[in-house]
Amino acid sequence: MEGSRGDSVVVTVTLVNVTKKFGSVVAVDNVSLEIPDGKFTALLGPSGSGKTTLLYLIAGIYKPTRGKILFDERDVTKLKPNERNIGLVFQNYALYPHMKVFDNIAFPLRLAKKPKSYIEERVKRIARMLNIDHLLDRYPAQLSGGQQQRVALARALVKEPAVLLLDEPLSNIDAILRIRIRSELKRLQRDLGITTIYVTHDQSEALAMADKIVVIHNGRVQQEGTPHEVYRYPRNVFVASFIGNPPTNIFRASVDQSEAPCVLLPGSKYCPTGLLAKKLREARLREVLVGFRPEDAEIRGEVSGDGVYLYGEVYTIEPLGRENIITLRINGELVKVTAPPSETVRIGDKVYLRIPRDKIMLFHPKTEENLALI
Amino acid sequence: MMARTELEEPLATGMEAVLIVSLLLLASIPLILAYTTLILTSFADTIVSNPWVHFHFTIDNWIAFFRGELSTTRARIYTTSQILWMIGNTIIVAAGVALVVLAGSITSAYAYSRMKYRWRMGALKLLLLLHAFPGVALIVGVYTLYYYTLVKYVSLQHRLLYSFVFVIFARASLELPMSIWILKGFFDRVPWELEWAVIVDGGSRWTALRHAMLPLVKPGIAAVAIFAFLAGWEDLIYVMVFLPPQAKTLATFIEGQLAGGSLESSYLPILAAAGTLYLLPTILFFVFTQRLLMETMSGGVKG
Repeated sequence: MEGSRGDSVVVTVTLVNVTKKFGSVVAVDNVSLEIPDGKFTALLGPSGSGKTTLLYLIAGIYKPTRGKILFDERDVTKLKPNERNIGLVFQNYALYPHMKVFDNIAFPLRLAKKPKSYIEERVKRIARMLNIDHLLDRYPAQLSGGQQQRVALARALVKEPAVLLLDEPLSNIDAILRIRIRSELKRLQRDLGITTIYVTHDQSEALAMADKIVVIHNGRVQQEGTPHEVYRYPRNVFVASFIGNPPTNIFRASVDQSEAPCVLLPGSKYCPTGLLAKKLREARLREVLVGFRPEDAEIRGEVSGDGVYLYGEVYTIEPLGRENIITLRINGELVKVTAPPSETVRIGDKVYLRIPRDKIMLFHPKTEENLALI
Repeated sequence: MMARTELEEPLATGMEAVLIVSLLLLASIPLILAYTTLILTSFADTIVSNPWVHFHFTIDNWIAFFRGELSTTRARIYTTSQILWMIGNTIIVAAGVALVVLAGSITSAYAYSRMKYRWRMGALKLLLLLHAFPGVALIVGVYTLYYYTLVKYVSLQHRLLYSFVFVIFARASLELPMSIWILKGFFDRVPWELEWAVIVDGGSRWTALRHAMLPLVKPGIAAVAIFAFLAGWEDLIYVMVFLPPQAKTLATFIEGQLAGGSLESSYLPILAAAGTLYLLPTILFFVFTQRLLMETMSGGVKG
């Protein structure tokens, strides 16, 4: 069903077993995915993960080797980009350098043979909305990166597409401006209520902007969910270590299976209960990957109270103003934690780290999957 | 900062530059002398053969040329309209070659640059080989083709038209390989995203070619068009072989005045005027498009 919000049509994008090969290289590997209508979805992954390929498949620039792509119930797999009613902002913006800003934005409407007065009115409206109405007489080369990005956005939005696709639109903008545009873009998406797919390698961007995050690695979907879900409940080691800054600490530990299974940590033992204990026992794991987020650990002088404790030595301290990032060496492994600026430990101090039990993640040593989620 | 200072460093220091420029001048003295002599003679009442000649400026030679008074006795050998027709023929051949080369090279260069098909690499290499082939070597084969098609398919009253069309296509095909190669280089530099953007915006590949690619490869198109025009303008052999004797171009006209015995009856200052006219497009194009041609040679598209 095609829903409608305001005056534009919004669609749900569905991918069914989509595979894309370039020669023998599999760029996208059997991806099935639903991108909800009217929401902001981020395709997040490192470079070379296949996220841009996935976006181009949705745009119709690439044709899938196998699989189907649906806009609502309509099968668009074989349709050309110009038959899909999409707006796309390229990473390098791909503005037409020989056209003025006005003509760049008007171009999709001119191709659609809209009347002149309509074009004039639409272009001016969208330019006002994006604060570029004073730039309409300039050429793209005379604009800053942020302005070019807005022009590209205006060109993508002017024809009121059913889906807006953004390929790393902020990566060519300097850091300070990026954070400002980030919130503006999020607000704009919310106001327009347009289905938006946003490709990025920057996990903080995805967390900050998206309603839904799809983590992609090696051409496969690693996890999909709300920012909270992928942050709090990473499905595997890759997701855990890719999302978050500093990333999740992960290290190997052995498991004592003699009685109730217990993970042997440097400084203490962690004996999980309930389902997790059952899974550890059933899998007969002798080793496990332990993970915890830097902000979940707390530096303590001694063992006191409930929780899991790790014992180690302070390796470096990075004061960042709002917080300090403290690196500890624990049993040969380096582990990062965040601490308030009031923390007074010094390099070389021997300290304990206290981590609440429910913040400890255990991953399978071979498949690297989160034991709590399989 | 480092990179910038390096870039701003001149290619040669003062003394080196002087040396290089003087060597280049020395090497081009014969050329410069020949052309100056030609052009000066066309405006003089005698042949400017040495610096001590008494130079008297006149445009009589040009008037005589356009009146068709070519011999030393100022006898009228051609009518003015014949002379104008001859210049017209030259323009028709040159413009025709330019148009055919443009149509052929834009479409094939786009295909070579943007499409995937079997034997693409092989065909690209073949292009270079074809360019290396001298046109004269092909003339027997091309003539055979001309002769049989002419005799078999072309009625008498259409033969003049046919020979023009034939010479234009034959001469253009000699220019095509290099033109395709040059334009392909230009197309290669246009980012794919620009073409995709047009298609996403609702256009076809043809729209993309017309609205996004062609405006960006304008320097390449201009260069290819100029080279093709000059090739048609200057061509002697193909025009001589395929155009009937009564349809002359500047090249065959000048050649006719110089060849076999007629040299003695020709008044050379008037021929110099014809020669200068023959040179004119080359000079004009190079004066006005120097910067453009330099760009072409380094194969760049300005961003």
